[in-house]
Amino acid sequence: MDVLFGGLADAVRLLLSGDEDSWSIIALTLRVSLTATAIALLLGLPLGAAVAVARFPGRRILLAAANTGMGMPPVVVGLFVTVLLWRSGPLGGLGLLYTPTAMVIAQGAIATPIVVALVAAALQQVDPDFRVQMQALGATPVRALAALLGEARLPLLAGAMAAFGAVVSEVGAAQMVGGNLAGQTRVLTTAAVLATSRGQFSLAIAFGLILLLIAFGVNLSLTLIQQRQAVTR
Amino acid sequence: MSAGIGCRDLRVHAGGRELLSVPELHVSSGRTLAVLGPNGAGKSTLLRALGLLSSHRVSGEILLDGRPATRSLMRHALVAVLQRPILRRGTVAANVISGLRFRGVSRREAQARAWPWIEALGLASLAGRDARSLSIGEAQRVSITRALAVGPKVLLLDEPFSGLDSTTRADLLADLRAALTGQPTATILVTHDRQEALALAEDTALLIKGRIRQHGSTAEVLDHPGDADTARLLGFTNLLPPALTGRTHTLVARPEHTRLVLGPSDDSAEVIGTLRRTVALGVATRVDVDTAAGPLTCLHPGDLLATELPPAGSSVRVRIRHARPLTEMSLATPS
Repeated sequence: MDVLFGGLADAVRLLLSGDEDSWSIIALTLRVSLTATAIALLLGLPLGAAVAVARFPGRRILLAAANTGMGMPPVVVGLFVTVLLWRSGPLGGLGLLYTPTAMVIAQGAIATPIVVALVAAALQQVDPDFRVQMQALGATPVRALAALLGEARLPLLAGAMAAFGAVVSEVGAAQMVGGNLAGQTRVLTTAAVLATSRGQFSLAIAFGLILLLIAFGVNLSLTLIQQRQAVTR
Repeated sequence: MSAGIGCRDLRVHAGGRELLSVPELHVSSGRTLAVLGPNGAGKSTLLRALGLLSSHRVSGEILLDGRPATRSLMRHALVAVLQRPILRRGTVAANVISGLRFRGVSRREAQARAWPWIEALGLASLAGRDARSLSIGEAQRVSITRALAVGPKVLLLDEPFSGLDSTTRADLLADLRAALTGQPTATILVTHDRQEALALAEDTALLIKGRIRQHGSTAEVLDHPGDADTARLLGFTNLLPPALTGRTHTLVARPEHTRLVLGPSDDSAEVIGTLRRTVALGVATRVDVDTAAGPLTCLHPGDLLATELPPAGSSVRVRIRHARPLTEMSLATPS
């Protein structure tokens, strides 16, 4: 119990002390995970919408791939991204390995299938004739699609939360492609792993609690938006 | 150039199969056409093709006010009400104005234009309600009000009354009829219900297996089936071939015009058969009789006591009180 309370005390101390290292880890965690989530939304929203409403060859294969991707171990994604960005790999010339950009790429690859699968599921829950009815009321195809997205906004926000939750909490890919370099690519999960391996349990718990706090904060914001929309009808 | 909606040589294909073929159809502004047909006849397919809303392969020409319709022209002219009321999240009032909003009308103006329709269709007390909390009947009322509020040139109604209880249906039917009267709207109602066609439409087309078999004024079409399929669709379920009646044409009759002869009679026009079963239906008693030319159904008013009817297997005589000869009607568009 001492370790746990010590960890709690350390977490509060770290947050209040203004320790530069800790704050840079927190800031990098937020930057990498939010950027990865944003990229996943940018890619996943149109892809998921296409899978849900369009008919094209390979649609079901794409959906099955996205569903599989939802359960993809981050360490496997990390491995592929590492191979791609390795000095002698296809994208080695870009020199991105062990940079925050590499972490964003890896986390984006983790989050995109989640967004695609959840967007497709969210849109397919709406009546299949929804867009036809909107167009039959005078909506252009684009406005009808926008109305469909609006109709499914609650599960869509849930998809965004799931994507962020998956990337902010993963450690395998961040460790492999980022290398956990102090001051450069160290994020809360990799910092917690390092502290644990060194026997600094209080510090590890502190990082873990801060991670939980961040995840809770972001999801609380999205939940408040989601539920406000659900109630103010 | 005649105002309204129509088509020429309209064909719809799906999966290598022709679902629909309509050489010509026109509904003038201010008139309502009922497209009556059994399930799977292609009614919704026709409606969606006319509204340029079909996901199937459509060929031929859709005409709007006599000119070939483009998607843009159709989008401005048309509103459709689908079989299931599909409402958006939000209040009833927000749903009713959504058609106007899609057309670029400001919220304030849309509310002003929609309000008379909300009152006319009896939705004023529900205006602030969450659309998701409505019953199916209320939701369909909102869906119809949303369509009328736009003041469309063309209104397509895809079985909007199916799934409603009889009281709700009768009320909504009357309200819709009142709302459409005097409006310069070309309305097409797709239905399998003759009463809906009678209540709403001046003209009726009978659609069977993707083809229009008859087209004319509603009163005429509903009472003059041209072939066995249309006879069945129109409730003339008793077919009496010449061999049975001695007439030159096949006769058709409704069950309510077909009765068992329970007393002595020497009427030579009666048909002989064997009583198969009797079913008490509360307000009527149904009697099924097998004849040499096929089954006949008799419908006697009231709950006939079993003792009044002979037992199953008895030889019985059936009298047809009103029968119509099957005559091919013209497919010409009514004036």
